[in-house]
Amino acid sequence: MVRTTVVGNYPRIGDTFDEQSLRRAIARFDKGEISAAELGDAEREVVKAVLREQNDGGINLVTDGQISWYDSQSHIARRLASVEINGLARYFDTNTYYRQPVVHGAIAWKEPILVDEWKFAQANSKAAVKAVLTGPLTLASLALDKHYRKKKPLAVDLANALGEEVSGLVRAGAAHIQIDEPILTRHPEDLPLAVEGLERIRARKGAAALTLFTYFGEVSKIFEELIETPVDAIGLDLVQGAATWSAIAKHGSEKPLVLGLVDARNTKKEDPAEVAKKVLGLKDRINLKASFLSPSNGLEFLPRERAREKLRILSAAARKVGVAA
Amino acid sequence: MTGLLTTSVGSFPKPEYLQRARTKASKGELSEEGLRALEEKATAEWIHFQEEIGIDIPVDGEQYRGDMATYFAENIDGTEISGLVRSYGNRYYKKPIIVDELRRKGPISVDWFKFAQARTKRPVKGMITGPYTMMDWSFDEFYGSREEACLAFAKLLHEEALSLEAAGAKIVQVDEPALSTRFDELPLLVKAVGTVTKGLRAKTILHTCYGSYDEIFEFFNKLPVDQLDLEMSNSGLDLLDRFKREPLKKEIAFGVVDVHSHVVEPESLIRERIEKALTIFEPEKLYIDPDCGLKTRSVEEAQAKLRNMVAAARAVREAHRLT
Repeated sequence: MVRTTVVGNYPRIGDTFDEQSLRRAIARFDKGEISAAELGDAEREVVKAVLREQNDGGINLVTDGQISWYDSQSHIARRLASVEINGLARYFDTNTYYRQPVVHGAIAWKEPILVDEWKFAQANSKAAVKAVLTGPLTLASLALDKHYRKKKPLAVDLANALGEEVSGLVRAGAAHIQIDEPILTRHPEDLPLAVEGLERIRARKGAAALTLFTYFGEVSKIFEELIETPVDAIGLDLVQGAATWSAIAKHGSEKPLVLGLVDARNTKKEDPAEVAKKVLGLKDRINLKASFLSPSNGLEFLPRERAREKLRILSAAARKVGVAA
Repeated sequence: MTGLLTTSVGSFPKPEYLQRARTKASKGELSEEGLRALEEKATAEWIHFQEEIGIDIPVDGEQYRGDMATYFAENIDGTEISGLVRSYGNRYYKKPIIVDELRRKGPISVDWFKFAQARTKRPVKGMITGPYTMMDWSFDEFYGSREEACLAFAKLLHEEALSLEAAGAKIVQVDEPALSTRFDELPLLVKAVGTVTKGLRAKTILHTCYGSYDEIFEFFNKLPVDQLDLEMSNSGLDLLDRFKREPLKKEIAFGVVDVHSHVVEPESLIRERIEKALTIFEPEKLYIDPDCGLKTRSVEEAQAKLRNMVAAARAVREAHRLT
């Protein structure tokens, strides 16, 4: 009745010795004891484990957990022309940090960024793997721009570059593409800029389904415009962005939604029955069958065992929605 | 006229013997008493070092703490400690989880304050991890409201501040590195820190770092403390112009060495920074310290930075005939 998915990142280590293999590998790589190829092997082992956990947790549409991403910004930006990676900056209101991209010339796509990672993940997953890209507006907003001096031309060039990447992902077989624009929860007035970017990406996506995801806050003021954006589905953080709930209830949505109802920033375990009840409250407002249930954002902010627990809560809630419907 | 007193923000690096001992203790290969003895040894060494180079207001160096929030949480009823969560890169930490009503079991940091103060005649700072940071860095399975959790921490941290004062602390510092996380919650932070410092006779300090100070500037004079301790050298001293236009009505502890850089700033550079600060602030209200805790540096780097800092402050004092 309603399917389940995740948003993107996933804890790369856990609390057992075996689950800390990547932490050890990175420490050894930093000391020059193993090669970049060996570090890549260690990362891919964790990707396999993360896919297993999602598959075992009954998630219908999974990700590679962004295990090899240093962070949401630099992993993509560092492979584009005219970008250097700078020091640490706080990532939204989380107690985590990203390496800030510095733009010192015209942005251009120069080589595949995520294609090999996606292919490896799909080859190791029973469930379909979605490719997740940080959106052009968020990348433009969090970077240090020393070239364009204006957000719009930077965001447009980033969108063209990401469009090229999406085209490569689709040729490799990706059927689900997700664009993350968390910055819209902070700057809803920038929605027109986000739309310009999405139009460029949409032109390159072929038959793949395109989802726009916003998180770390609410988007109630732009909800009506948001569901008209040129994408196939909209992902919403309904925990930190709980205020968006009333906008969904009021306006409904023809477009399928990804309902981020399970808190990915707090260890507290939700009752699947309560989650299912909330979802069922929308059954006359949205197309549940085409929609997804998800965590509110990436699960990396939780300890690994609690992230696994959240996956189980998602699946259990989705089953209850199915039974009730 | 007196002025330009030197101090530190809080943490110092742990010597190698203590790092090894902590690893052993975490595997159960070293007893609690065995670890405590080495933490005391390291604390005594840091106090001795600060006396030797002539720091005016020493700190205990936090040799007994892993993470600043987790250390406090471990000593509070109503909390558990989570599994590992990533901070950035290959760095992970354990977070407090609030699982029940928060209550102080007893004094948290008072024993360490006493231990340090007994080893020096200079006034050692009492150090508290602030209520807003405790809340922001914890998972909450009990209160379900950031405000309630924050004020519950504030209430018990006020008890801790009173205990520190009763133990002889003339200065109590509240650390709020999370201060600039959510601008819309600054009024909550002011309320919570005010709850901690209410009625204290001791001088109170609020330390923060890594912020975009622009947005929080107008709150500086509203913070219910006597002194602000700010990271200044890492933010390129940009703030000085703003302070010129909008004067600070409190004392300031002015960070003059970058704690994230391996480079040991030469005395001449630090002197320039102090001279710049003196164009804005009265010397008796201006304290000189590093940007933040020095725990991520090596012992040698931290000591070299502190030595140059004290030498630079002394040189500027002499040039301005301050005592």
